Amino acid sequence: MSWAAHDLEPYAFQRHLKLKVAFVPLLIGSYAPDMMTKWFVYGIHIGGWKLKASNPAQFHRGWPGVGFTHSLLWGVVIGLILWKGFGSKLWGISFVVGEWAHALTDTGDTVGTMLLFPWTYHFHLGAWAYAGQTGRLVDAGAYFSGFGGMWDLVWIVYGFFSWRVLTRHYFERYVMAADSFWPWAARRVPVTALLTFYRAAFFYGTSRWIAWTIWAHVVHHYPYDLTWGGPHWVHAARP
Amino acid sequence: MRLPLLRRPERGGSPHRFELPRRADVSTLALYLVAGAAYVAIGVVETDFLLSWYVGAAYLLLVVWLAPAAVRRLR
Repeated sequence: MSWAAHDLEPYAFQRHLKLKVAFVPLLIGSYAPDMMTKWFVYGIHIGGWKLKASNPAQFHRGWPGVGFTHSLLWGVVIGLILWKGFGSKLWGISFVVGEWAHALTDTGDTVGTMLLFPWTYHFHLGAWAYAGQTGRLVDAGAYFSGFGGMWDLVWIVYGFFSWRVLTRHYFERYVMAADSFWPWAARRVPVTALLTFYRAAFFYGTSRWIAWTIWAHVVHHYPYDLTWGGPHWVHAARP
Repeated sequence: MRLPLLRRPERGGSPHRFELPRRADVSTLALYLVAGAAYVAIGVVETDFLLSWYVGAAYLLLVVWLAPAAVRRLR
């Protein structure tokens, strides 16, 4: 599970692939595996009801469950639908790049992903603890105390080093030029608003990384544990 | 005698080489930094604010685009 990497990775791909990818489907692909499922992992209250998966890790990454959304095949299926169904090869490929980045990034934790689904083996490096089953706040405290938070930091530093991908010039020359969505949107909304929207995921990923780190270590004093598979003060789910 | 070709540097610079921001970039960066600092401050106090991408994007559009545009119009 990653908290900010999925916001930031698309900018790195955009930097290197330039006109070969469309940013919007790349970003949607990067979010897609968790888009409809995270709420049920952490649980929500509706009136007097609490809806939550009985085994969050199994539901999120496993089979039976919706773990197939973190597989390479799932990215290809949705990419093909975008290509053949909606007629955009660029959107299809861009979605696949984003979804694969998400699926591969999430192999870093202790649960990992079924990359080669329908083969249900969980590929996992086990570098940081998967603690989604503990609820959102403890999960945040754990994630930002271990290698997961550090992995996000790598993407933030990389993003700042590549700050030119966030400039108006880069946006107009590469991002808008690559995808007809942007000229279409620019006929309805000012380019400055579109540029702000383009930067939003970077802003969101970076700002919430800082905020959660302050929350975990200044407000709540969760201990750092930068050892493999840590932090070990939380129960790490496994496949 | 052939003269070497002089090529003007690409406007906006290369994203593959690190360069320090120019004055115009710094003013934009400052606006985002202020917006980010406020977002972080609110989020640390009220963590629900940090949970939604849509809230984050709406906040950024409000602070970085809509509010400055409204101020410019009022002047």
